[in-house]
Amino acid sequence: MTVAIWAGSAAPARTIRWLDGALGIAKKLGATVVAAGEPTWLDLAADRAFRAGLASAGVPTDLKLDYLGWAQVVAAVMRELGATTVLIDEASRPERFPEVGAVAELQGAVQLTHVVALAQGDGVIHASRIAGRELQTVRVRGPAVIGLRIAGPQVDEYPTPMPSSHMRRLELDEIGLDPVVLAHRALPPRTSAPSRKTVERIADYLAVHVAPQPGR
Amino acid sequence: MSSVLAVVIVHIDLEGDRPHASSLVALAAGRHVASSWGATLYAALIVRDAQGLDATETTLARSGADKIVVAVTDAPLAPLWAMVGNAWQGVLDHLRPRLVLFGADAPSAAELAPRTGARIGARLLTRARALGLDDVELRDRDGGYARVADSGAAVALIGRADPIDRADDDVDLVVLNLPGGVDPRLELATETAAEIGHSLGAVVALGDDVVDQPQIARHARQLANLLGAQLIGSAAAARAGAIEPGAVVEPHSAMAPELLIAVGAALVEPAGASAVVKIGAPAGKLVDGALLGPVDSELAELVKRLEAP
Repeated sequence: MTVAIWAGSAAPARTIRWLDGALGIAKKLGATVVAAGEPTWLDLAADRAFRAGLASAGVPTDLKLDYLGWAQVVAAVMRELGATTVLIDEASRPERFPEVGAVAELQGAVQLTHVVALAQGDGVIHASRIAGRELQTVRVRGPAVIGLRIAGPQVDEYPTPMPSSHMRRLELDEIGLDPVVLAHRALPPRTSAPSRKTVERIADYLAVHVAPQPGR
Repeated sequence: MSSVLAVVIVHIDLEGDRPHASSLVALAAGRHVASSWGATLYAALIVRDAQGLDATETTLARSGADKIVVAVTDAPLAPLWAMVGNAWQGVLDHLRPRLVLFGADAPSAAELAPRTGARIGARLLTRARALGLDDVELRDRDGGYARVADSGAAVALIGRADPIDRADDDVDLVVLNLPGGVDPRLELATETAAEIGHSLGAVVALGDDVVDQPQIARHARQLANLLGAQLIGSAAAARAGAIEPGAVVEPHSAMAPELLIAVGAALVEPAGASAVVKIGAPAGKLVDGALLGPVDSELAELVKRLEAP
């Protein structure tokens, strides 16, 4: 089983703790770290992969794609690396989690989201995943796409990553992707919403989280 | 309206023999959209036996469905693509929808929605709601939208919908027999209760600085109930009776819930949360909202707002 881990297309939103946790699992499976995006993020991904003792591959691009676009990139890199199973760090950024299903669909693979523990033995992956308030334990045989939510140790500060020569660079056309075609999956530019600071605005923001109430 | 917009499907998760409450919210949103777009609204559910669904069908009809599709599978009904994906795929292939809705908090949504989107080449909206009166659109909290004039398909996880007028009981029923569904590469071994630290939905975290104020603890519990959230805190919060003993989380624990609301100086690390709201603490970087005033009054006012119909 050849394994890759998709670290994503941008640096973690708040901390590298989840990335480090996912890399810790990847280390046990001998995975190659895959990242795509802008140079500073690729340097960070390469640095964390190197510190974890993992090989890495990066796809330099300034495209901002939706989940289907990034899934095409991941699938293309998997072909290039000969990987059949891919782990995805789905906790570092919220937009990562739908890529689990999208990559699995492209690969015709088993998918598992929300995995909080994972081990391998005798060619079988044993995974525990969260489903609502339940913990499901499953066994997976064969190619799989697995979304991880496993935190590493707390990191207050980490060294500024330097441009890394350890990462193998893969241009889009080198892995069979046309950037012009891929750009059809580009996300429209959006301005980030300013932080909400009134009860009215926060109540409106939270309205989509309110649990259905009987009689409402 | 283009004929390709004719089908809106709402995936219905069942809790026992009842539609999941979050699925019914999605059905209400689907009703608003389908009426505005001139589309037919299908409620689709996956079962092992199509008999004995009369009460479910009545509920779905009264909740706005034009038609009900029952996909009958011999697979175990676990919320995993490997278990129910084949049957769900059969529904998609049969109806060829342009819009598919899931309840954002429905058990199957996380596994089925993104792969549904990938299968039909759809954009994905998370925590969306139906907005507008005549020209209804779906809009999510990140600014994504689905409108009648869109050329492509969309999949949306619905977080909220205005109630609909009760519809009549008259509904067409389509039964699809889709045997042989389990993906043999995945085996479900056990199911147990998850630890509180693994909560994925909404979490309300109580800070130690407010646990000795019963009014705040009460409002925090009300807020958690409104959001269907876990109310968590430190051992001190449990000793003060502000949270349940089983809801203790170690300081600086890393959690990855969809929404984290920190009340006071909560020590949970919000690193993995998709959205963070602070009450009684400065906003800081990457916080989606913050109320800087006194915790007591700000929290009470927020609860009051959210309770209003």
